Amino acid sequence: MSNPQELTQEALAAIARAQTEAEVAAIEVDYLRRKNGRLSSLLSEIGKLPPEERAALGQAANEAKRAIEAALAAKRQELEEARLADIAETEAIDITFPGPPLGRGHLHVLTQVQRQIETVLESMGYQVELGPEVETEWYNFEALNIPPGHPARENWDSFYFTPDLLLRAHTSPVQIRAMQRIKEPPIYIITPGRCYRRDAPEATRLPYFSQVEGLAVDKALTVGDMKGTLLYMIQSLYGEERKVRVRPSYFPFTEPSFEFDVTCGICAGAGCKSCRHKGWLEVGGCGMVHPQVLRNGGIDPTKWNGYAWGFGIERMAMLKHDVEDIRLFYESDLRFLEQF
Amino acid sequence: MKISYEWLGDFVDLGGVSPKEAAEVLTRLGIEVESLNVIDLSQIIVGKVIEQKKHPKSRNPLWVHQVDIGGRTEQIIAGADNAVPGSLVPVALPGTTVPNGKLVKDLNIAGFSAKGMLCSAEELLLGDDHSGILILDSGKPGDSLTTVIPSQATMDVEVTSNRPDCTGHLGVARELAAGVDRPMKVDFMPAFTGKAEPAGRDLVKVTIDDSDLCSRYIGGVITGVKVGNSPDWLQRRLRACGVRPINNIVDITNYVLLEYAQPLHAFDRAKLSGGEVHVRRARAGEKLLCLDGVERELTPEMLVIADADKPVAIAGVIGGEETAVTDTTTDMLLEAATFNGPSVRQTARAFGLRTEASARFEKGLPAELALAGARRAAALIVELAGGAVHREWADVYPRPQEPVRIRLKPWLVDEVLGIHVPLEDSEAILVRLGFHVRVLGDGEWDVLPPVFRLDVSIPEDLVEEVGRVWGYDRVPPTLPGRQRDRWTPSTPSMGRRLDAARQVLAGAGFTETWNPALVSGRVLEQLRVGARALRVSNALSDDMDTLRTSLLPSLVNVVALNRDRGRSDVKVYEIATVFLARVGDKTTQQPEEPQRLGVVADAGATAESGRAAFYAMKSVLDACISELGAPPCTFQRASAELFHPGRCAAVFQDARQLGYLGEIHPSVVTGANLEGRLVAMEIDVEPVLAAASAVRARPLPRFPAIERDLAVVVEEHVAAGALLAAIKEAGRDVLENTRPFDEYRGAQVPDGSKSVAFALTFRSPERTLTDAEVDNVMVEIKLALEKKHGARFRE
Repeated sequence: MSNPQELTQEALAAIARAQTEAEVAAIEVDYLRRKNGRLSSLLSEIGKLPPEERAALGQAANEAKRAIEAALAAKRQELEEARLADIAETEAIDITFPGPPLGRGHLHVLTQVQRQIETVLESMGYQVELGPEVETEWYNFEALNIPPGHPARENWDSFYFTPDLLLRAHTSPVQIRAMQRIKEPPIYIITPGRCYRRDAPEATRLPYFSQVEGLAVDKALTVGDMKGTLLYMIQSLYGEERKVRVRPSYFPFTEPSFEFDVTCGICAGAGCKSCRHKGWLEVGGCGMVHPQVLRNGGIDPTKWNGYAWGFGIERMAMLKHDVEDIRLFYESDLRFLEQF
Repeated sequence: MKISYEWLGDFVDLGGVSPKEAAEVLTRLGIEVESLNVIDLSQIIVGKVIEQKKHPKSRNPLWVHQVDIGGRTEQIIAGADNAVPGSLVPVALPGTTVPNGKLVKDLNIAGFSAKGMLCSAEELLLGDDHSGILILDSGKPGDSLTTVIPSQATMDVEVTSNRPDCTGHLGVARELAAGVDRPMKVDFMPAFTGKAEPAGRDLVKVTIDDSDLCSRYIGGVITGVKVGNSPDWLQRRLRACGVRPINNIVDITNYVLLEYAQPLHAFDRAKLSGGEVHVRRARAGEKLLCLDGVERELTPEMLVIADADKPVAIAGVIGGEETAVTDTTTDMLLEAATFNGPSVRQTARAFGLRTEASARFEKGLPAELALAGARRAAALIVELAGGAVHREWADVYPRPQEPVRIRLKPWLVDEVLGIHVPLEDSEAILVRLGFHVRVLGDGEWDVLPPVFRLDVSIPEDLVEEVGRVWGYDRVPPTLPGRQRDRWTPSTPSMGRRLDAARQVLAGAGFTETWNPALVSGRVLEQLRVGARALRVSNALSDDMDTLRTSLLPSLVNVVALNRDRGRSDVKVYEIATVFLARVGDKTTQQPEEPQRLGVVADAGATAESGRAAFYAMKSVLDACISELGAPPCTFQRASAELFHPGRCAAVFQDARQLGYLGEIHPSVVTGANLEGRLVAMEIDVEPVLAAASAVRARPLPRFPAIERDLAVVVEEHVAAGALLAAIKEAGRDVLENTRPFDEYRGAQVPDGSKSVAFALTFRSPERTLTDAEVDNVMVEIKLALEKKHGARFRE
């Protein structure tokens, strides 16, 4: 029988020869296993020794165990380091190979643009208001100061179901309904939704489209407040370098009335082919709410005033994403929709 | 509308104001100039032809001219022979680009050098005459052509419908004058110079029978006119505005329309039967051969001008051929009237005929304009066609224009604009625009708008007048103050709440679409979903004549369109309104407008793939509902239009039906020219949102779970849902969760039966369950299944 020192030498030599983790594990079992391991076998005969030798053997065996364990750990670390040293080669993959398609669907670009607009205006304290798409004459026209026979009706040629029911030509009826419902200003609302006008489909307009209108009714609002609101909205959506101008125009439901333009994103207002050398792109209409319209909404125009604006969501999306044909939004060709 | 820059110069001094600057000023004032077309004549010079000889060698007839161009003579060759010696002609020297784009070069034509070009009217874009060289009335050789004919600039302007006064050059010039702060050169109301006897009103008797449709009719008599061509300058201006010259009388009526915005008409007085004019509604069956050569049938709601016997013009729209001024006309009746706007629009629409006249009447013209226009035309006729204007015209004016007075608190300007405009500036602006301002003792203003401005009636209108001339660019942007004592708390919009479902759908591979709400009513009927559809009474076409009652037909079409364009595995959805007419006695009310989620996906070609797609669609619905925070849905076998009779489920949430889920009916699929199968669902989303609530966190389990599987053999007709319900009931409070995960038919399962495998999870919230306890519960579950559904069990 060998003594602990010899056993240690033998084990260390075996460990030094080991090439793999499996060999190391086999050596560990062979020498250090509690039952029938070589070291424990050595100790199993300790009882036969005279008492004064037992302590020495015990101590020698413990030293042997520690030495073998240390050598095993060192070997294992050596093997692990060797393994990690060449994974750069052994486990290399072709990182240029593309990932598999996720198969994710897409939100409609108009949903995305509408949400961006809502987010900006909600951050300013405006609330989304919705209303019916099939409206009455009164809400669609009369309440907005457009009585029958009014020449401006031509701009809102509409689809009728009965002489009194029609598809709304703008989301302005929602403004009237909101004023009637909320009753007491301040009122800060936006009204996104689909609208309909009797125009034959072409690249720049469709008989159906979507608008976002905004309405503020409060004390002592000014044209300046309206301009600031539009500027904040446009710059938030298109970037700080954009400018906004308002041009006098005419709508029966606002006085004064304006069109609002945004500097062309391509030439920054200098004039280019894209903006037909105007430097400005027409976005929508706006103005100070006509006192009669406030009255029709149940608001006292001697106490309150307001401003309102409106524009097409498609127009905003076309400006933002360089879409040239409005029909693409409603054609549902996935090759278009998946670009956004 | 086309506006000639040169013409504007008749009314306001444009020295130092270029066409581009004028266009910018007008746009800022609210008369939007959409485009500006400049014909630059400054590089063309005046030449005088000294000698003209035929080119001796050229095969085509050519003439060699010696032309004095001021101090020197150049040899110029031309194809036309009308530039005889002595003629003054426009000359373009080599290196010049003439307005039509042609670059003039130094040429040698068969041995003769040609140092330039003699220009035709067409080459200078001054007309369409290309038959000969343009011969000038005057000019000094060597001077720029602009000393004779100014550079031409035409603007395409858009005039808003409230400003019919600006549909003429005079009105536009007035705006421009106010914008550049220069005085107008002419008064609005020209002087009346008619002196000839007898009085006009004795020569033509005017009666207005229907004064609701005509508030004024002036019939001016001019005798002894000589009909011929108009002078060049007048023809040029008409052409610049897109009007074709005809003869001097007709041209003058058109000219004054383009100048004053007042439509006029000239009748040959000799052809008016009875020397009478009646303004009346047409009689049934009456017809009129119009100036455009078309005979039109008139209806009793249309207003006409008639003589003693018959209609001679459709009021405000077009004149009649028979009574028109011709070369032989000597005596004429000049009509200047004010017709009712909506009536003219209706008549013009009925004929699909929108004329320069009707377009202006439609907007409602002030009656005072009629007199101004008539006087202006009479003066021009005398000047250009001779003749004598008779005194005292017929002027039937049953409802004189009411003057409008406005009380303005002038500080309203500052309050609305948000800046300070000095009172004297506000006043000056109003005066420049023709308003009369009187300052009252209390500081308020009494403002009288000019007679041609029917659009101004309230103080806010005056604020707009001041604001647009003062300049809105001078109003700095601000934001409304934040001092509020009331507000509405913020709530997320329906659209934003539904974004949770949109995200689920995107993750599951579905792409959102926006489809038109107007669809074909015929198709809805074929699909048998047209019963509550609303039909448009004035549709543009029959494929857009009805509001959709379901999103699914649109989505099926989307699949078809994308398959056509080479796509397979199309998965699409839409969230939008559908429209359901109310029933019973409420059909004339606004319809119900439920918001729907509609989803359609390819479902392969086989019954098995369709089945798998059905269950996949259920998973999509479950995930959407769960993400929206609403309680889970239950399903009942159902049948519905558009759906496969064996593969359709009614979707319920609590007791409320939300809609349907299932395979699309094979006939609907083939009806859309599609092959294979489609799976779909359509549910109302508003009740889902109403049922939604915030997620409440459950405590994490503290004790281990025990899992068991159970294969239940039952007859085919027994639904998995029924088995599930029985298991849940028997599993009591220790059955935490169970779901069917497999359906099997074949070996070990008798014909007519199926084996449904369930995974069961047992757990108690209070203690660790033992196997023995779970075994007992399993026995109870099996007993219940056996008793209720005749189930047997596979090991």
